[in-house]
Amino acid sequence: MRITLILFSLPLFITTILLYGFLAWNLYFSFTNFSVLNPDYKFVGLATYLQLFSDPLFQSALVKTLFWIVVLVAVGNLAGLVIASLIYNVASTTWRNILTAYFIYPLSLSLVASGIIWRWLLDADRGIGHFLGNPLQGDAAFWSISLVSVWVYSGLATLFYLAMFYNVDKSQLESAQIDGASKLYTMLSIVIPQSKQSLIISTIFFTLFAIQMFDLPYSILFLNPNTMTLVMYTFMKFTAFYLAVASASAVVIIAISAVMVIPYALLSLKRWIK
Amino acid sequence: MDKIRLLPHLIIAGIGALWALPLYVLTIGALKPLSEVLTTPVYVPSTNIDLTTLFRVAGELAPVLLNTALVVIPTALGAAFIGSLGAYALWRATTKLKDVLLVVVAVATYLPYQSAVVPLARFMTERGLFDTLYGIALGLLIFFIPFATLMMLIFITAIPRSVVEAAEIDGAGEMLIFAKAVLPLLGPAFTSVATYLTISGWNNFFIPLALSRTYNNHITLKVFSYVGQSGNLYNEMFSAALIASLPPLLLFIALGRYFIRGLLVLGSGGK
Repeated sequence: MRITLILFSLPLFITTILLYGFLAWNLYFSFTNFSVLNPDYKFVGLATYLQLFSDPLFQSALVKTLFWIVVLVAVGNLAGLVIASLIYNVASTTWRNILTAYFIYPLSLSLVASGIIWRWLLDADRGIGHFLGNPLQGDAAFWSISLVSVWVYSGLATLFYLAMFYNVDKSQLESAQIDGASKLYTMLSIVIPQSKQSLIISTIFFTLFAIQMFDLPYSILFLNPNTMTLVMYTFMKFTAFYLAVASASAVVIIAISAVMVIPYALLSLKRWIK
Repeated sequence: MDKIRLLPHLIIAGIGALWALPLYVLTIGALKPLSEVLTTPVYVPSTNIDLTTLFRVAGELAPVLLNTALVVIPTALGAAFIGSLGAYALWRATTKLKDVLLVVVAVATYLPYQSAVVPLARFMTERGLFDTLYGIALGLLIFFIPFATLMMLIFITAIPRSVVEAAEIDGAGEMLIFAKAVLPLLGPAFTSVATYLTISGWNNFFIPLALSRTYNNHITLKVFSYVGQSGNLYNEMFSAALIASLPPLLLFIALGRYFIRGLLVLGSGGK
């Protein structure tokens, strides 16, 4: 009986070991000088990290990734909260479900397709970018594409907020209605304060999505320094065969993500072992 | 009273228009005649519908669509099934080690898979799988299996223990309990996980990009190749993006309920 269970979970063990193997590989090579120039690599201690952190392009990618987290978490949560509140107050259940799915549909599109569409929509010559003062040029590109990522992902926050709104005790809503409270007041004082859980979950997911940001900026502006994130930097070093630098950059990505991932994994445990 | 009710509806329609705009532009752009592509903005529809570009691009995409389907569908279904086996094993396991194991798996699963780009590409190169469909399928599977297991585990914990206990009293082994008592209850969960993985595998760009030299291994790569190739001919890019988006979009429309339940399950981890 034990044997069967071990057999059942064997693919899980193998893939998990592989994932940790990849992690260890990154860590190991980040302490070497492995690159196209040094195929016979040797250990260099922290030299690759020093090189990495003194690269202005890496510094910029790190700052941009952190800003991307701020934009996606702040604006994504706000958009999700507003859309969820509006959907919540629609009387018909059917319409509520249709609207929820409607605001989630960008999650079912590939980011490359979304990127191509927005690249043209924001184009200064052929798109609405004409009225917005060339939003893909220079520093503006970062803000434009990070807002496009809000368009892609905020449906997820909408869904999480709605799920919490539906959990609100009906009797509280009824007594507020009897007291003659307005819908807006009810939302702000009763419903929204009870959705803290959604705020936490959305924030965790948005942080991870922002750290992973690649497809969208890459398909809009390629490897442009104005929108280069940590993953794009890592990818660039990988394609140029600066593998030690790419590994060190990957370790930085892992370290930043771990801040969110480890507490989330521990939090989830309560649910899994029920 | 009517005024108060109207305002939220107007706001939602306004925000909703922002969600419709990309699909609108995509559709009218893909159907635009070449002469107008060169002269009109993307948001201005043409009075003449021109299907020649769409059909030509569809012909160019057809073999890649087939490749993608051959990689993604078995990968998603396989990972969902393997995930249900793993989830069942974890659910049934009585060892104290289980908690530690779960955290170890979850941490590996939620860390950005993009950080594994270098070792993953070298792993595939060393096995002669670089730039092959098998390499991409394996690359997706490595990340899909732990992910599917965690998703499945949340669904499986909703099954009452009594279902299994009844079968256990009858002396059934784990294989039989899983096949006869648990698997039949996992239909909706299986649909959720498989739908979620199919859509995310179909739309994945990074793994095929990191594991390929050419553009014909995955539909997202092929669509991306039009960006460099077509210059200002947005009708070509939009045709490619439209055709590539139809399968996941149709799947989302048909099985959106399950996809959304999958998302909710992902978010319910902390509940």
